[in-house]
Amino acid sequence: MKQNILKLGFLLLGLFLILVGYLSYLQVVRNPALASNPYNRRVQEMENQTVRGNIYDAKGVVLARTEFDGKQGRRVYPQGDVAAHIIGYVSDRYGRAGLESAYDSYLLGMEGSDSVRNFINRLLGKEQKGGDLTLTIDSSLQELAEQLLGNRRGAVVLVDTRTGALRVVASAPGYDPNRLEEYWPVLVQAADSPLLNRATQGAYPPGSTFKIITAAGALADKPGLADSTFNCQGYLMVGGYKLTDLAVHGEVDLKKALAVSCNTTFAQLGLGLGADSFYRTFKAFGLDQDPGPGIAVRPGTLAAPGDMIQTELASSAIGQGEVLVSPLHMALAAAAIANQGVIMHPYLVESVRDSSGAAVQSVTQRQWLTATTPAISGIIKEGMIDAVRGGTATAAAVSGVKVAGKTGSAQNPHGKTHAWFIGFAPAEQPRLAVAVVLENAGSGASVAAPVAGRLLATALAKGY
Amino acid sequence: MTDGSYGNYISAVAKSAARRKGRRVEWKLLSLIGVYAMIGAAALYLGSAGAADRKVVFACVSVVAAYFLVSFYWHYSGYRGDCFLLPLVALLSTTGLIFLFRLDPAYGVRQFFWLLIGLGVLLLTTRLLIDFRFLSDYKYIYALAGLIALILPVFFGQEQGGAKSWLDLGIFNFQPSEFVKILVVLFLASYLSENRAVLTVGTRNLGGLALPGPQEWGPLLAMWGISLLLLVYQKDLGAALIYFSTFLTMVYVATSRILYVLFGSTLFAAGAAASFYMFDHVRARFEIWMNPWPNIETTGYQIIQSLFAINSGGVLGSGLGLGFPGYIPAVHTDLIFSAICEELGLAGGAGIIILFMLFVYRGIRIALKTTDEFAALAASGLTALLGLQAFIIIAGVTKLLPLTGITLPYISYGGSSLVANFILLGLLLNISHEEESDL
Repeated sequence: MKQNILKLGFLLLGLFLILVGYLSYLQVVRNPALASNPYNRRVQEMENQTVRGNIYDAKGVVLARTEFDGKQGRRVYPQGDVAAHIIGYVSDRYGRAGLESAYDSYLLGMEGSDSVRNFINRLLGKEQKGGDLTLTIDSSLQELAEQLLGNRRGAVVLVDTRTGALRVVASAPGYDPNRLEEYWPVLVQAADSPLLNRATQGAYPPGSTFKIITAAGALADKPGLADSTFNCQGYLMVGGYKLTDLAVHGEVDLKKALAVSCNTTFAQLGLGLGADSFYRTFKAFGLDQDPGPGIAVRPGTLAAPGDMIQTELASSAIGQGEVLVSPLHMALAAAAIANQGVIMHPYLVESVRDSSGAAVQSVTQRQWLTATTPAISGIIKEGMIDAVRGGTATAAAVSGVKVAGKTGSAQNPHGKTHAWFIGFAPAEQPRLAVAVVLENAGSGASVAAPVAGRLLATALAKGY
Repeated sequence: MTDGSYGNYISAVAKSAARRKGRRVEWKLLSLIGVYAMIGAAALYLGSAGAADRKVVFACVSVVAAYFLVSFYWHYSGYRGDCFLLPLVALLSTTGLIFLFRLDPAYGVRQFFWLLIGLGVLLLTTRLLIDFRFLSDYKYIYALAGLIALILPVFFGQEQGGAKSWLDLGIFNFQPSEFVKILVVLFLASYLSENRAVLTVGTRNLGGLALPGPQEWGPLLAMWGISLLLLVYQKDLGAALIYFSTFLTMVYVATSRILYVLFGSTLFAAGAAASFYMFDHVRARFEIWMNPWPNIETTGYQIIQSLFAINSGGVLGSGLGLGFPGYIPAVHTDLIFSAICEELGLAGGAGIIILFMLFVYRGIRIALKTTDEFAALAASGLTALLGLQAFIIIAGVTKLLPLTGITLPYISYGGSSLVANFILLGLLLNISHEEESDL
């Protein structure tokens, strides 16, 4: 019997050893699926114990902060719906978006020295704090842009051509992130998609604003085109179809064609360029990429070179057809012309500071792409100056400042044309590039250009 | 003085010296546990995360003092029970007490009183039942008592946590099955030691197998029936599992016949399989165990929350009071081990398991040292009972076995469980006391 008792002992100890082994597996081999399961509220709880960092605009205006009502923290956006699409939101129920999502770990103090400091604070039962973000956005300009958009659907992007700093990234309609949970069911179902950031996620036919890109491609392909003239009879026959122009422009050179926005000329240039070169130009301006400003951007799209038959190529060359880009992309294209062909990497976050105020991340301004040459951008710039001086874009003029611009009225299957304007100012020493789009609002010349003019005037007056 | 009596005198002196040394080891260990409990209480009291107040400090001081009083009493009354079991239980129970204060101070306060009552019962057990041998004479009386106690909840019972195994006694609820399990071990120890020879050799030959007659195996078959009764009527899968596995280990220890174990397991498996098809709650338990994820919001919620907690603990845990074990249903009773794993990590979880291993080691040692069959069977049975209960619930909360509603001995909240386990401790100590005396 002693033998049996001994065996029983070994059996029981063996069972416990199995438990220790299994427990080691459960606890040491971290299972990310368990930690991130929506029914596991631990991550959420940890976050609720942390004072989430603030978000400031370029002038130090608070865009987002955490207020405490007892032990429960609440995220407050003092500027209401201003820049809501960029800042994003944090919600227990509906997740997170925008910069609140992209910089989550910094705002929660989970990076760098904050992670150590907060670990110690946690053990000591002290308050845990996250880091702060300072944006490049100017909230007063942002607010102005949103007011100019009004209750129309559309977007405005204003970028510093020399640095890539984004000063305005506006999208309308917007929403008040302070009351997100309350209005969520309405917001997700609304036909005009207020949660969509049209400035970066919008997919619009660029219309005639795209002609600056076609021009850049054509000039790179055949430098002699700068001195040639084109004859516009008011229409062009392409592959048996008649592409009609808005007017009979007669004898025009390239600058004039840009200034008056002659479809015939640019359709011809596109056809001369060919599908492959056209595609290369599209890529050279980074239109097919997400430039990575801090929030997600929808890369632009167009028909594949193999599928680009003559009619498609001709309409793509004037920004119709299957070409779809975001307002941010078009603002960067304008910036390329302004900045002698070089596009600076666009960014939204100027600096990230940890809870002690030390910088953990500050932006390094760098070139993103060389879209075209200084010579070519110079020619296109002159065409754009002419467009504002006496062409289609006169409504964008700013008194005392020379503005360069290009309008567009993009046809689309949803009704009236999308009104477009892209441009930059001051034309001699460009500092700011702008892109404006207003959905189904009519012509770019009468609807979009005045918005750009107002914004440029105010921004330049503020010293940007 | 003859040589013999002189020898007796010498050995008596040596033994009393050893005894005093033993209790002194106990005091040293209890002092360390006092420091441990104080650190835990201080961490709760000073930390902002827990909702504990000054009560936790007072409770820990009092409980450790009560353990010392028990030990002092044993010292002066010349009690020679094992000197490691009490510190082991003290460590387990103070850990449980601190965690209950951390989880819900109201439970902590009640557990504190139950611990004092348990220690009182321990003292009574080691005083009144010190000549435990008389227990073997009344086996059928308490077999009957146990049976009645078990059947009562079926008619008058209250359902708690899915198991209908509680009796409402007005001021508190009483769980008879916690006490009956000790009676079962004593009954089996007595019955098996009496019929060991017959059961081992068998009285008749059946197809080459030597088997005992129905009068010998009849009571054992009744045991199997009771286990299934528990399973089916009280939905108390955990208790049934403990009863039956303790029963099988004791039969094996007594008879050395693995055939009985296989036969018994087969019968139990057959019964379990039948109830799987016949009863929805048994089937639900099994399905949750196999894959709880589709029912994460309902029946699978508890075990999944337990897994979340255990997995979040890591090696060293979040720290006492800094985890979120509050999301686990029944965390203060059956799932307290998950809370320990979350806040003390693998180090704490494995530590608790090792404490149970040491308990089992001491229990087996006591069983091995006895010369008497009844005592050896009782000691090994009680040890197996406690070890298996700890194993089944820890395996349950880690999803190694289906989760059943049983307590983690000495740690979980629960008066019946605590008092019953202190009686178990007292009986083990009495057996070791006896063997130390008649060396």
